[in-house]
Amino acid sequence: MRISDTTRVDIARALVISGAILYIPSNILPVMTMSIVGNVEPLTVIGGVRELYDSGLPLIAGVVFLASIVVPFLKLICLGWILWMHGKPADMRRRTTLHRVVHTIGSWSMVDIFLLSVLGAVGQLGALASVEAKPGALFFASVVLCSLFAAEIYKPRLIWQTSPTPSV
Amino acid sequence: MDHCSFPGITSGSDVTDAGTKWIHCPSCESLCRDRLLSKHMELRCRRCGARVKVSRGTYSLQPAFAFSTAGLFAAILANINPIMTFDVVGDSQSGWIITGVEKLYEQGYWPLAALVLFASIMAPILYLAAVWYVSAACLLKLPLPISRKALPCIGILEPWNLVPVYAIATVVSVVKLKMLGDVHWELGARWVLGMALCSLLASQSFDYEIVREKLLALRKS
Repeated sequence: MRISDTTRVDIARALVISGAILYIPSNILPVMTMSIVGNVEPLTVIGGVRELYDSGLPLIAGVVFLASIVVPFLKLICLGWILWMHGKPADMRRRTTLHRVVHTIGSWSMVDIFLLSVLGAVGQLGALASVEAKPGALFFASVVLCSLFAAEIYKPRLIWQTSPTPSV
Repeated sequence: MDHCSFPGITSGSDVTDAGTKWIHCPSCESLCRDRLLSKHMELRCRRCGARVKVSRGTYSLQPAFAFSTAGLFAAILANINPIMTFDVVGDSQSGWIITGVEKLYEQGYWPLAALVLFASIMAPILYLAAVWYVSAACLLKLPLPISRKALPCIGILEPWNLVPVYAIATVVSVVKLKMLGDVHWELGARWVLGMALCSLLASQSFDYEIVREKLLALRKS
């Protein structure tokens, strides 16, 4: 199936707007609840980072903060700007570089989803300890997928569509 | 550093015109005149700055073949061995990669289960298998069936090969669980790390353009 360039731009725009809308509940709603010996604790994405930081692990907290909060946000902002500028003959080289960066770092936002999977795999000890996924995780995964597919569907060549053919 | 010479033209596939070979910029698709490059030189697109071609000297697919073989072995062992054991007040539980998928499915989060299954198990294994298959076809100079079709699959699967991200998530989860109980690394975790390293190295040593040329030459012969 061949998708036309106009459709590609429209789909990418729809995905970025959807991602931006979903980004809000993904950060407000808890992504998981961890209960240890009856003590139930709902954890949001930022709550998980704060917990790591408070436990004296600023480096790990920094990695999770970057991968789970900064990267998805920056990806949406960068893709939004690239798509906003579509068809305009300005900053084309910068946009191409930015697209390459977004494409490279995109998958790192999956850390939180994998974290939930690993914690869920071992944290099923009945009343002693349990880890359960919560709707925030679905919203978070949707944000990651929206930005991944938007970067994939909007090819860098589309940035250069209005570029005039230079002389040799 | 050399540059593309016709940076504005964007149509067609590789073109040969009066002995001059033209190649596409992989990023902006402008046509660039192919050059013979000496060692450690690269051809960059004048228009977008992307790397079009890099001199690999005597490029061999042996490293890609070796890393993908090792990666496939590591993938099997990472999936059949538990990653870690969590212990709270004497009650312990071991977890495999697939256990996380099962638990997410049981809790009703099947889209997340499908995503984790695809990104942590299926895509990495399919990616390594495709690299192994295409590398074997080139190294043995055998026109193996569907080897040309497997090549685009490598490009599609590469961004979904998220085992290195999974390895980071495993480390973070151990740190989190240590606050709640005792955590012990199991054999599977080492194989996850091995698989992550092998897939990164296989991806680094696999040159898409050179392999495409080799497969075309095989088909012609």
